[in-house]
Amino acid sequence: MTSYLKIEQLHKRFGSFTALNNISLDVKDGEFICFLGPSGCGKTTLLRAIAGLEMQEEGSIVQGGQDVSALPPQQRDFGIVFQSYALFPNLSVADNIAYGLVNQKMNRQQRGQRVKELLEQIDLPGIEEKFPGQLSGGQQQRVALARALATEPGLLLLDEPLSALDARVRLHLRQEIRDLQQKLGITTIMVTHDQDEALTMADRIVVMDHGCIAQVGTPKEIYDRPATSFVARFIGSMNLIAAQVMEDGGVMLGSVEANLPIAAQPSTGLLGFRPEAAEVSCCATVVDQSKLQMQGEVRHLSFMGAYVRVGVAISDELEIELDLAVSEMDQKQITTGTSVWINVAAEALHYYPDQDPDQAEAESRVAAGAVASAQNNMAQVAAEAS
Amino acid sequence: MNTQTLQRSMPAFDREAWIQRLVLLGAVVFLFITLLAPLATMLAKSMQNQAGEFIGLTNYIEYFTNPALFQSIFNSLNIAIWTTLIVVSTAFVFAYALVRSGMAGKKVFRTVSMLPIFAPSLLPALSMIYLFGNQGVLKEWLPVDSIYGPMGIVMGLSFWIFPHALMILITAMANSDARLYEAAKALKTPPWRVFLTVTLPGVRYGLINTIFVVFTLAITDFGVAKVIGGQYNVLATDIYKQVVGQQNFQMGAVVSVVLLLPALFSFWVERRVQRRQTSQLSSRAVPMQPEKHPLRDLFLTGFCLLVCAFLLTVVGMAIYASLITFWPYNLTLSLNNYQFDMMDGGGWESYFNSLRLAFWAAVIGTAVVFIVAYMNEKVKVMPQVRKVLQLLAMMPMAVPGMVLGLSYIFFFNSPGNPLNVMYGTMAILVLNTLVHFYTVCHLTAVTSLKQIDAEFESVSASLKVPFYTTFRRVTAPLCLPAILDISVYIFVNAMTTVSAVVFLYSADTTLASIAVMNMDEAGDTAPAAAMAVMLMMTSLVIKGIHWTLSSQLLSRTQRWRQR
Repeated sequence: MTSYLKIEQLHKRFGSFTALNNISLDVKDGEFICFLGPSGCGKTTLLRAIAGLEMQEEGSIVQGGQDVSALPPQQRDFGIVFQSYALFPNLSVADNIAYGLVNQKMNRQQRGQRVKELLEQIDLPGIEEKFPGQLSGGQQQRVALARALATEPGLLLLDEPLSALDARVRLHLRQEIRDLQQKLGITTIMVTHDQDEALTMADRIVVMDHGCIAQVGTPKEIYDRPATSFVARFIGSMNLIAAQVMEDGGVMLGSVEANLPIAAQPSTGLLGFRPEAAEVSCCATVVDQSKLQMQGEVRHLSFMGAYVRVGVAISDELEIELDLAVSEMDQKQITTGTSVWINVAAEALHYYPDQDPDQAEAESRVAAGAVASAQNNMAQVAAEAS
Repeated sequence: MNTQTLQRSMPAFDREAWIQRLVLLGAVVFLFITLLAPLATMLAKSMQNQAGEFIGLTNYIEYFTNPALFQSIFNSLNIAIWTTLIVVSTAFVFAYALVRSGMAGKKVFRTVSMLPIFAPSLLPALSMIYLFGNQGVLKEWLPVDSIYGPMGIVMGLSFWIFPHALMILITAMANSDARLYEAAKALKTPPWRVFLTVTLPGVRYGLINTIFVVFTLAITDFGVAKVIGGQYNVLATDIYKQVVGQQNFQMGAVVSVVLLLPALFSFWVERRVQRRQTSQLSSRAVPMQPEKHPLRDLFLTGFCLLVCAFLLTVVGMAIYASLITFWPYNLTLSLNNYQFDMMDGGGWESYFNSLRLAFWAAVIGTAVVFIVAYMNEKVKVMPQVRKVLQLLAMMPMAVPGMVLGLSYIFFFNSPGNPLNVMYGTMAILVLNTLVHFYTVCHLTAVTSLKQIDAEFESVSASLKVPFYTTFRRVTAPLCLPAILDISVYIFVNAMTTVSAVVFLYSADTTLASIAVMNMDEAGDTAPAAAMAVMLMMTSLVIKGIHWTLSSQLLSRTQRWRQR
């Protein structure tokens, strides 16, 4: 696939706040990209810069072989959908969708035809004469999508399009937007703070943090190999344990010493693995140098439906979380107070050495509970957003 | 792809941005010429002698060493403080009754309480003369010797300012969170403590705001004091006497500067209060549903009846007096007093002039205000200029009408000014009226624009539709209710105002409100009352048309509002 959008070294400040810090990104033709990150990470600013709604201070944006960096939005080629739908409430659905067609030298009949076509594509035929206020949120958002697609832009920008909708509609629309995007083959960029949305919809995810790109990759790459502890914490759940790698290849997890099956320079940092990646057994296991091995006592059980989240104390100050299938729990007779042995395979382990002392301290404080639940993270983001 | 070799596309001529820049700059220049420059000229004049030479603060020294002159400051303060006390306390209870009680007949009370808005401030003053004057029907009730003086001024002003205070307080009280009251109840708080700890803090910004609005209106009003002030001089009448009576323009300018100070002060306080107020009410607040308390409601009904009786008596007395053939000797009813062509003051022509002024001010003013507010609110170019514009748009509120009018004489009548062709024409009256009432209109427009989705402009840019098309097809239709409100507000005020235009009319452009004043001065009190009644009736008719339009036309063009 060829490159459609090329962003190079984009900088944007609002006063003393750096919204975009040296952003470079290559988007391929027909790709579905998600910008993912907590609020204030710069993802919306980046989207608006691509649209020309915000002007960057430095850097260039090349779209379809044309350098559009200096162009106002009217002279760029994109369609956009906002969280608020931004449908014109005093115009009918047909007038809304045809809003951009009027100055495309189309006659009334052609316009009507195109509107009809689009309404069929979004699965809402026959609602031409209704007003936005008479539609449900999900319907309004689909009409907004049709309006953005009406002029057949080369690039579709979606700014948190699903955030204002309730959960069930959101799941349905996710699939629908993705299907329509693949059918039309239109290059699409979506901003979201919802990791599930990004994981299920995107070809590639761009995880952003403090105006920088933390990682770019397919959903699977991002989930399996988070590049930084920030990404690890933001996507899914991950145990992040303050760790000190020793000269002899062992590792100190607080006061507990363990073997480290992955290569790492002697340093301090965070050792991470996902709660579902650990094997648990109730009796002592054979020593296996290819695995991280720990022993602990079950302290908490939270029933989550398909699985149980188990809190295991490795030492007095260190607790980790594991996800176990309900059947496995029953089989192994794990309850509060059970002693368990934990094995984590080398490929499931991630070690993030500290970059600088200050940050290390801050992160180990955050990781004091040893697990950083992305769910918590999300709740926080949602609270900030509302 | 190698971007090094790629030619950066330069933006094609961005016509839209240039239109936006031009309009914004035009608006700044407009307010500069019609507001700042005249005020600056007036300030300069106050430091000149008759011959126009700069003499520093000599005029001010003369003013403050002449007790006959600076006594007016205390008189004005006296009037303003009493009026504020009476109006704010009455309006507070009235608003409480309308918003928070289970009293019956709220709609009627509310309608009656708005009546004074439609009357020129001269009307209550004339009415006071018929009620409590030397030949007044209720003369015995008056606790002081004569209605001509502070008593009359305070009563007249109280009538006229009451609805202004009431409107702010109703809004403040309506914005309350029922959950706070439920929490207080759940904690078994006695009602008086709920009032002190929940009700009062909830409306405190509205209350402070009201106090300053009332104070400013009272201290700057000219009409009431002119008609019923007698020997009791206040600042606004002093300006008039200095300029029109003694042709002492310099001293008029000095008094204007003095009058500008309290107005500027209360403007400043109000701005500060406004800034704090923003986050008072969260979007999750639950609106209050008023409850019935028979005893309290009975008391409040009585109170509202009393206030409305006073308002209706004042209005009724003016109407009645205007229909009496010859007060108090021939009490037969006739329309003799409405034959304005037999009197001084410009006759019926002045009435039609007022209509013309109100019409043009409403049409031009609404267009100017709304377009400027739109540019200020929805356009992204030139952020610094927009900040300046925002400040300029807020300023007219702080400038008393008398001060603005006098400034216009100085600025537009100066022979060196190419704009002096406007002097003595209808154009200058329209311009002056527009600037005089600019701020409230601007705020109305901004409020309604803020309620519109901020992304409409982005969407239309992405669809390659120019911003003015979206303005025409979407923004303006959405704001139609606010646009109608603004035009009616300007129309009614243009009909009833005296203060700003009293210096600016000419023999060809006499106005009805000025005619009221002149006829009263000439001793024709009854025709003056008749003309004041005409003005009020016209305003009421316009308001009626507005109401019909809003409900009929809106229901047709705003079909989208229905679910």
